[in-house]
Amino acid sequence: MLDVGRHPNITLLAYSELEKLAGEAGNFTATIRRKARFVEEDKCTGCGACAEVCPTSVLDLYNEGHAERKAIYSWFAQGIPSTHAIDPDHCRVLTGKKCGICQKKCEAGAINFDQKDSILELLVGAVIVATGYDVFDPSKLPEYRYTSLDNVITAMEFERFLSASGPTEGHLDRPSDRKVKAIIAQLEKKVKKSCKALDRFEKNHGTSSEQFYTAYTQDSLNPGEDQIKDLVKDQDKWAKKYEAHLENAIPLEALKEKAKKFTTAKKLAFIQCVGSRDLRFYPFCSGFCCMHSIKEAIIAHEHDNDTHSVIFGMDIRAVGKGFEEYKIRGGNNSNIVYKRSRVAEITKNADECPVLIYEDTLEQKVKKETFDLVVLATACAPVKSTGKIADILSIDIDQYGFFKTEPANPLDTTRQGIFVCGCAHSPMDIPESVAQASSAAARAVQAVMKKNDKKAS
Amino acid sequence: MTKDILVLGGGIAGIQSSLDLAEMGFKVHLVETLASIGGKMAQLDKTFPTNDCAI
Repeated sequence: MLDVGRHPNITLLAYSELEKLAGEAGNFTATIRRKARFVEEDKCTGCGACAEVCPTSVLDLYNEGHAERKAIYSWFAQGIPSTHAIDPDHCRVLTGKKCGICQKKCEAGAINFDQKDSILELLVGAVIVATGYDVFDPSKLPEYRYTSLDNVITAMEFERFLSASGPTEGHLDRPSDRKVKAIIAQLEKKVKKSCKALDRFEKNHGTSSEQFYTAYTQDSLNPGEDQIKDLVKDQDKWAKKYEAHLENAIPLEALKEKAKKFTTAKKLAFIQCVGSRDLRFYPFCSGFCCMHSIKEAIIAHEHDNDTHSVIFGMDIRAVGKGFEEYKIRGGNNSNIVYKRSRVAEITKNADECPVLIYEDTLEQKVKKETFDLVVLATACAPVKSTGKIADILSIDIDQYGFFKTEPANPLDTTRQGIFVCGCAHSPMDIPESVAQASSAAARAVQAVMKKNDKKAS
Repeated sequence: MTKDILVLGGGIAGIQSSLDLAEMGFKVHLVETLASIGGKMAQLDKTFPTNDCAI
């Protein structure tokens, strides 16, 4: 990745989009919109001082919404280019409010709120489409209750939880527990504030709020002679403040008690083929999910040797050099059990633990099993903007929404001089994407070196 | 007739294509819609089968 930023032959146009492609193979004119970052690329050093002071928090989609970033951000810490960008939908200045703290903080003077989108025209001989894929939205499957159960997550979210740079710094804290902890933090803030207000009353009248309130509700207030005037004036206010304080303090204590029992997730369920090999959504096999579920279960076990995982699948498709051995190694060394089953439904118990209802096809019995966390191996879906990209490039898409190619020419799209590789072509794993990317590069070279681009056959 | 090549998408496929072409001496324009390149692979903690860091 770093090499791309450094290579003299590569012009990196991040935060940009193709708007138009005219001409023909060997002579395309591409119109590219460089979206305004509001940060000057040649001045920003990527130090991150701006993000530290930015007061606006936004959900971090790089962490699949499980963490927050600021309105001025870099997509991820090691991102190339390291230039920050300002999110125009959330930045205070760009939404018409007063702020500009980042501008004052930036020592390089890189922040420019007046930056506008710029249009770039490029002459190119060939185009490689490597637009990738989208993670299938599992909320389309009502039986898995992805939206209503906190502890049912996608494999991509699980990757972020496993990552040392992720929202939980690599600990498998359950999302429901994190939610409770967030509520505790919020309540603590409120209670701290109300305690401060109560302190003032307590100091003035020399009695604790609890004692005062009991007396107040029993109508047996017996203030000292010199304090009586003040207390009569204050008592309703004090009582109201104390009531408001209790409203937060009582649930806070209860939640704190509950949080004492929280542990990291130790019993994991992986459900395969969520959205793929499913006639309601995508009939194809996404190819890489079996292996990434095994990988995630192995890494979870590496993090904590008490972790047990069950992988529920119709079959485990470990096709490739060394894949089957990897699967067996996972079963032998990493507490992974493979169950041949398609999970019918997920519910939850009182502890927010997902309860899986499934048929064990080997025993021919319907079973119910409780887990700490469920990870859904979601399908590799075509990107949402595939239709738009196809229109701009005037190329066809196939029945599923990937770019159309012929089996004999798997890299050539329906327009000469435009090639496709990676998951924009069809679901594939990383080594295959890399191999196809190199092939597409070779095809593109053939296209620009030869006047009459003959298809390889 | 120009020999420059446009690559759409800065994920692992786009990065690999760009690097290959650049090494062969072609000028490459790599377009990515997000603020940084890396794509889905940069989100992964470790990659199969070597369990190496993805970034």
